[in-house]
Amino acid sequence: MTVTIALPSKGRMKDDASAIFERAGMKIVAVGNDRSYRGRVEGWDDVEIAFLSASEISREIGSGSVDFGVTGEDLVREGLADADARVEFCARLGFGHADVVVAVPEIWYDVDTMADLGDVAADFRARHGRRLAIATKYWRLTQQFFSGSHGIQLYRIVESLGATEGAPASGSADIIVDITSTGSTLKANHLKILSDGVILRSEACLVRARKAAHAGDPVVDRIVAAVRAAL
Amino acid sequence: MPLINLPAFAGDLLADFERMGTLRVDTPVIQPAEPFLDMAGEDLRRRIFMTQSETGKSLCLRPEFTIPVCRRHIETATGTPQRYAYLGEVFRQRREGSSEFYQAGIEDLGEPDTARADARAIGDAMQVLANRLPGRRLKVTLGDQSVFEAVIAACGLPGGWQKRLIHAFGDPKQLEKLLAELADPKSAGVFGHEVERLAITGMLEDEDRLVAHIGQIMETTGYSTNASRSPRDIARRLKEKMELANTRLDKATLAVMREFLTLDLPLADAPAALFRFAAKSGLKIEAALSLFDGRVAALARAGADIDLIRYRAAFGRPLDYYTGLVFEIEIEGMAAVLAGGGRFDRLLTLLGAREHIPAVGFSLWLDRIEQAVAAAGGAK
Repeated sequence: MTVTIALPSKGRMKDDASAIFERAGMKIVAVGNDRSYRGRVEGWDDVEIAFLSASEISREIGSGSVDFGVTGEDLVREGLADADARVEFCARLGFGHADVVVAVPEIWYDVDTMADLGDVAADFRARHGRRLAIATKYWRLTQQFFSGSHGIQLYRIVESLGATEGAPASGSADIIVDITSTGSTLKANHLKILSDGVILRSEACLVRARKAAHAGDPVVDRIVAAVRAAL
Repeated sequence: MPLINLPAFAGDLLADFERMGTLRVDTPVIQPAEPFLDMAGEDLRRRIFMTQSETGKSLCLRPEFTIPVCRRHIETATGTPQRYAYLGEVFRQRREGSSEFYQAGIEDLGEPDTARADARAIGDAMQVLANRLPGRRLKVTLGDQSVFEAVIAACGLPGGWQKRLIHAFGDPKQLEKLLAELADPKSAGVFGHEVERLAITGMLEDEDRLVAHIGQIMETTGYSTNASRSPRDIARRLKEKMELANTRLDKATLAVMREFLTLDLPLADAPAALFRFAAKSGLKIEAALSLFDGRVAALARAGADIDLIRYRAAFGRPLDYYTGLVFEIEIEGMAAVLAGGGRFDRLLTLLGAREHIPAVGFSLWLDRIEQAVAAAGGAK
């Protein structure tokens, strides 16, 4: 069987992923020219590389149309319902660090924990005539964290696909759920992370689609072992 | 033309509703999604079928009837009191069972005699189930959030804690977590450095100064123009939070609350038991108890078989528009809720009604009732 590995198609993620595979003894070469979206691994004839965008990678692993992928844990957990049943996180690769966090305006002196936020959300409607609005592109992670882990139901998600940190100041939402690596953008927008508001500490991972055909396939095991040994 | 997949007993059920003096209404299957998400919370999003209109408006397939019936009532400016009946398909993503199924029910809007309206809702639900399932013993569970609210108010908890507990009512896990925290606060609350500084400057004692200070910072950071929380909201909640952090419940009060939550007894015995409980623990909750007692009396007057009903003090629904009565009906030998209902006095105002409209209702799970009917037929 040919095993397909999906890798990020551009940017730091592409370079970092390629470097790890090279250290693992799996040098990746593009098929055709440098811009090609297909590649192969020198000396591994039964492995194919597909270069995709990071969010496509999580979707393709979820549907099982690729066997492995390198992408952020946040995108996998956001993109797939029941992620752990459908994919296996084989290795954490040590780059692409980003935390998915709950951040509120710094001036909310009375809000430092999720319990505080729950209190504010509970009577937001009575005070303001609408529910507490959260700007985010992480619908699933937000719902799981708010309802599942903290029993907070009464809020509305406002979809935000860019410049999420600006939403509270502009008034399009009250708080945000977003990724941050250094926290500097949050600070610049006068936002603070709640003390128990880290939803996920994400980084790039080697992720395998759980497919029955993988059982006993030596190539699958060799790929995982080689990448782990390179870390 | 009747739909081919209607339950066989649909006609009889509608005849029952008509005899009960209700007005049959229908609502569009395609509904604006906003009111459902606003009322039930974001969690509902995963469980409804959503789509968008060409102009980007969120729409969904009708996941239940209460909100559409209430919105229809407001839009048509119908006078109250008014009792509506409905029967139709609803659409929800479910783990088990089909995601499209029939529900029917009655919504009783604007009846000022709440004891009578509550009793009628329970009685009607029991009656229509008994008519579908003759000879089967109904099991009714009844809860009442207003009794719980009276108990925690009488325990002398600060407002912030009362709100937290009321909000968790009906969610045993969350409620137990809060009670454990009240018994043994792990920390005195988490406060940021900024709050410590404010405490040193004495600003926390002076609400007006604090409000001005917060307002000024919002001005300089560009937060003053948005329609979110105001400086006074923040200052007041900060005070409430300091109260929350300093509250510890003594063992005796905690034991009283726990004892209340374990009450589970036949409804006929519940009023006397609640009065005894209040007297023994020294709680002043007579007002709530006399309403409770009035409902039991109204049920007896309405001819409902009270022996089939149990009162469970911890039974509630963690939705903020449910205000008092909640109930569920099962039949013996089948672990499925066939009917659920309750009082939702806050819903119509939340949906935009100008005046306060008390409301109570119930809905029937027709697919489960069909299964129960089929099982009974098979046993014969």
